[in-house]
Amino acid sequence: MADSVDTITTENKTLPLGPYPRFVTRNMDVPGIDRIEVYREHGGYAALAKALQSFQPEQLVEEVKQSGLRGRGGAGFATGMKWSFLPPTSPKPRYLIVNCDESEPGTFKDRMIMELNPHMLVEGVIIGSYATKVHHAFIYVRGELAFAGRQVERAVREAYAAGLIGKNILGSGYDLEITVSRGAGAYICGEESALMESLEGRRGYPRLKPPFPAVVGLYGGPTVINNTETISTLPAIVEHGAAVYGAYGTEKSKGTRIYCLSGHVNRPGNYELPLGTPLRTLVEDFGGGMRGGKQLKAIIPGGSSVPFLLPNQLDTPMDFESMAAAGTMLGSGGVIVLDEDTCIVGAVLRMTEFYRDESCGKCTPCREGTFWLVQLLERLEHGGGKESDIDLLNDICDNMLGKCFCPLGDAATSSIMSSIKLFRDEYIHHVRAHACLVGPGATRAHAASVTPVSAR
Amino acid sequence: MAEQEELVNLTIDGQPVSVPKGSLIWAAAQKLGIEIPIYCYHPKMDPLGACRMCFVEVEKMPKLATACTTTVAEGMVVSTTSAKVKKGRAGTLEFLLINHPLDCPICDKGGECDLQDFTLRYGPGGSRFDLNKRHFEKPIPVSENILLDRERCIACQRCVRFTQTVAMENGLVMEQRGFRIEVGVDPAAPFDSIFSGNVVEMCPVGALTAKNYRFVTRPWELKKTPSVCGNCSVGCNVRVDVRVDKVLRQYSRTNDAIDDGWLCDRGRWDLDWINDTERLRTPLIRRDGQLQPVSWDEALRFVAERLRAVRDQRGARAIGGIGSTHTTNEEAYLFQKLLRAGLGTNNVDHAHGRFPATEPGALPWAWSDSIAGLEQASHIVLLGADPYHRQPIVDLRIRKAIRAGARVYVVTPEANRLDRLVAGVIRYTAGHTGTLARALLNIITSDGLARGEQGAQRAADRRASVAQETPERAAQVAGVDADALRELAREIAGAKGAVILYDEAATLEPSGATLAADVLDLALITGNFGKPGAGAGPLLADNNSLGARDMGLLPDTLPGYRPVGDAAAHAALGGAWLATLPAEPGLSYTEMLSGGVKALYVMGANPARDATPEQLAALDALDFLVVQDLTLTETAQRATVVLPAVAYTEKDGSFTNTERCVQLVRRAMQPLGGAKADWEILVGVARALGLGWTYLSPAEILSEIGRTVPLYAGVTRRSLGAEGVRWPFAPGERTPEGRATITGSPSITWQMLAEGVARAQKPGGELIAPRGRGE
Ligand SMILES: Cc1cc2nc3c(=O)[nH]c(=O)nc-3n(C[C@H](O)[C@H](O)[C@H](O)COP(=O)(O)O)c2cc1C
Ligand code: SF4
Ligand code: SF4
Ligand code: SF4
Ligand code: FES
Repeated sequence: MADSVDTITTENKTLPLGPYPRFVTRNMDVPGIDRIEVYREHGGYAALAKALQSFQPEQLVEEVKQSGLRGRGGAGFATGMKWSFLPPTSPKPRYLIVNCDESEPGTFKDRMIMELNPHMLVEGVIIGSYATKVHHAFIYVRGELAFAGRQVERAVREAYAAGLIGKNILGSGYDLEITVSRGAGAYICGEESALMESLEGRRGYPRLKPPFPAVVGLYGGPTVINNTETISTLPAIVEHGAAVYGAYGTEKSKGTRIYCLSGHVNRPGNYELPLGTPLRTLVEDFGGGMRGGKQLKAIIPGGSSVPFLLPNQLDTPMDFESMAAAGTMLGSGGVIVLDEDTCIVGAVLRMTEFYRDESCGKCTPCREGTFWLVQLLERLEHGGGKESDIDLLNDICDNMLGKCFCPLGDAATSSIMSSIKLFRDEYIHHVRAHACLVGPGATRAHAASVTPVSAR
Repeated sequence: MAEQEELVNLTIDGQPVSVPKGSLIWAAAQKLGIEIPIYCYHPKMDPLGACRMCFVEVEKMPKLATACTTTVAEGMVVSTTSAKVKKGRAGTLEFLLINHPLDCPICDKGGECDLQDFTLRYGPGGSRFDLNKRHFEKPIPVSENILLDRERCIACQRCVRFTQTVAMENGLVMEQRGFRIEVGVDPAAPFDSIFSGNVVEMCPVGALTAKNYRFVTRPWELKKTPSVCGNCSVGCNVRVDVRVDKVLRQYSRTNDAIDDGWLCDRGRWDLDWINDTERLRTPLIRRDGQLQPVSWDEALRFVAERLRAVRDQRGARAIGGIGSTHTTNEEAYLFQKLLRAGLGTNNVDHAHGRFPATEPGALPWAWSDSIAGLEQASHIVLLGADPYHRQPIVDLRIRKAIRAGARVYVVTPEANRLDRLVAGVIRYTAGHTGTLARALLNIITSDGLARGEQGAQRAADRRASVAQETPERAAQVAGVDADALRELAREIAGAKGAVILYDEAATLEPSGATLAADVLDLALITGNFGKPGAGAGPLLADNNSLGARDMGLLPDTLPGYRPVGDAAAHAALGGAWLATLPAEPGLSYTEMLSGGVKALYVMGANPARDATPEQLAALDALDFLVVQDLTLTETAQRATVVLPAVAYTEKDGSFTNTERCVQLVRRAMQPLGGAKADWEILVGVARALGLGWTYLSPAEILSEIGRTVPLYAGVTRRSLGAEGVRWPFAPGERTPEGRATITGSPSITWQMLAEGVARAQKPGGELIAPRGRGE
């Protein structure tokens, strides 16, 4: 946890809750907060009561719009706006789904919310469902996260028992059912439409869009789908008000979000920071800097699906716009720090294997392309590659990029294309030296032609 | 019909085109004749967007679009040839080929393979893949008839989606994911559907192959002829694929009105009888108790002599003919003409269900709606019918109707393949279909469920005749649930449009004597007629069951259902045929098989197969038995003369399917050496009889039918076109050359239907039991 928050100082006095407020991670470290009594002792479900009493659903949608909350699942779509795409009425029932399938390499924030503070998620589900006039919500938990799944299931049971889910919640006349569903272990089931297929009991293949879920979603009904963190932020927004929440962050990326810091830093972990906080603050102040005093080689700032940043981009603010300007994406908030001893080709191979294995196999470029990419990267990494393989990798990526059925295929190309752009000389070293530049079994035979890390 | 459709204008490769709103870019390109390569898309299934083969570039869209998923928009500018499109398509093909075994030289699909063809047209020309391909065990069976080569599979999902969404049967599934993906079968649910063969035809590559077609030919060696399947009364449109002297398969020729692009496995593969090595290749005459080969001349002369002798000694009434439900309309027509005009007898019949006689003005006994109409039905009732096994492609259309929301009721003695998909299942003791139909009429007439003035009138007419046939009585004698019948009656009476179908065979059950008229009354009284998706009728047995009746293979009816005593018909037909026709009705099928005749002419039928011992004795006691058939059937074995005939794949002609569609059959192969088409044989016999027939082709015979049979007025080979026309016909427009054409008229009126039942009724409402085979 961000235990060093107090040691950070800032001049900005206009921030009502101090520079580093904890909206979505508050009370996370209170012992027993995963039980309903403790959660309530700490003010839990008060936001729900406030939402039901003081807001009409439409007002709540407006409040969320005002807060500037944007989706934390990856794409950063404005949450209030997404909700307003739901048709006002529809013959089929409408649904809300919480996407708890968190599987993006380098991302582990939703898991923490589910494991440590599941009631905050449940409270968010009820508020979100009320705002979108949904009477049946689903929580889809990644299959491998067995403990998280049990925590959420228990929280839902406790909330049912306390009359917070079910008929006539808190005397408001509002009814809601919540079903917790567990995935079976497929990254693609985090993609919203594949998730719906899976929920409906079919193979997790992404669906054709349009129609979009807001129009035709789960069981053909209009559906809102949001990330765990997005939904878990709702109680805080209701409690503090949109203005307070929106006072944090940048003009277009408001509020705070959880950054999952991993890799070669001294204090990896989840840190809730205002959007727009520079990467350097996260890595150096919160993460305690590079492990073992090594030099930074590259950063993947938003989960394995986004392009690399170089050390000289460490001052990039972590908001959607600044990241895009820097040529990458904020994505899922998974910040992976790589030090000078990391073989880039090896790292890229490892990530590409993930996409090969997780490709659902529906569309040709992703299914076959990831298979081919892995074979090429394997031979490069193991010293058997050809120089032409490097351009071939790029061209295979070009034949995938924008041509796959869903974003997974595109995502698979990010690390490859950006690493070739930034570290081509290290690839060439693999070909010429038949070995890595750094790491186990490395040789520096052709190191002279590779830009040193310190010069990047 | 022609609702004003909203059109959208766009250009593709610079050519303007207008297509209905909601069309896919792929369809718009089709219209212009521009090919957009597809694998996963299939026009009969929802877009999937999986294979990424159909890329096009659309102005203002940043990414390439898939033509199979992108709908047209006004003013859209599409390119199918831009550099970006070319690279995208070549990229997809290169991807598909990295894991493809490229065993084209030994692949059955080679030569008609979309992967080969598109690679030639849009592919990269070479591959940059120099690593390890994925390997699988070479073909594994997925069913009794189909093998799967997973290495060749491009994972387009066509086959899987067909079994799951079109056939709605146990079938294929996708297993594993990513590059490990493969097609598989659920071990607990065998892929045993009668529609299974469609996946072989749909598979764009050689991954799915039919066992009976493997390694027997190359596609370019096949002669492909558009025709009609001859295996059942549906009349699916096929392409007959022949190699030298063998039919190897039938492929679909997609007629949306009939088969919707599908075939059943029987039609596709059960062709062994055509290739049978036991087929007759020469005429046979019985000499010294043995059937001995003779020349055609001798055989024809012999037949004529013996027929003339019987007629001279015993009179024309001693001669009879049993015709066929399999031969063409032209042949059925000539057969009865030979007997009536040539030999002077009305003793002509064929094996058929029990249907009342039909009068001019009345609709003959046939399905009053259409197969395609099923899609618009709110209710479909199968009464003693099992289309899955007997008219499979009708069953498949019922599944489509179910998807469109139709409530289907399966009322059959035995478990039915549709049971698990339908709104209601009612079981009863076999043989009681008629009992149930009358119990339904009883409920409808006594519970006031009639609709409309005419319906109420008809109900009043029928009430007394079914007063005793209560559902409770049906429960007693037929073991049916009376309440279920009541519910069904209410559903039919409340339906927006109900189609009630019974199997022809049910009319031959002990309780089925009046089934045809009772079911028609059910539809009439409840107002279920005269619009698509409403009606009643029989599901007939064979490919030309209806044509046989239309052509007058009936003892009391001339072609076109005119009574044999009808003076006007006599004058017209007699004039055309240059003959005096016998006026009194002839003997029925059963009467002819009970010693009623001394000489029997059997064409394409095998009465001995299901004959009683008495009937067999009568067959053996005949003075003269001549049989035209493909093999030495049970009947042919008893014959005096056997004349070798050919299958429908070896001749031209026309069939009339169970929903009244008259369609052209085309010769797809050389007739078996030594055998002749039934029409040719009949012409030969007639000439030997000195009748001076000069027909040179089935086309000529059909034109004569078009002139002499009012029901078929205007029919010519040309007028039937590629997809056939359904009677009753209406005069169509004139062609540019001034030729008259015909169109099928969908409007079947109350009058036409009511005439049918009226004729079948005695004063007081009791129905007359018509005759059929077995009576
Ligand atoms: C391959 C793929 C995997 C995804 N996995 C997740 C996931 O695990 N969790 C998640 O919240 N969103 C995931 N998404 C994004 C979802 O599709 C969706 O955009 C998100 O749940 C919307 O929630 P938000 O608006 O609150 O961000 C994934 C998207 C793709 C293409
Ligand atoms: S890009 Fe294609 S194969 Fe890959 S996960 Fe998406 S749909 Fe499946
Ligand atoms: S077997 Fe054929 S039809 Fe089925 S998925 Fe493979 S390529 Fe497509
Ligand atoms: S349904 Fe009948 S006509 Fe159609 S393919 Fe099958 S056997 Fe032939
Ligand atoms: S045909 Fe269009 S994606 Fe497969």
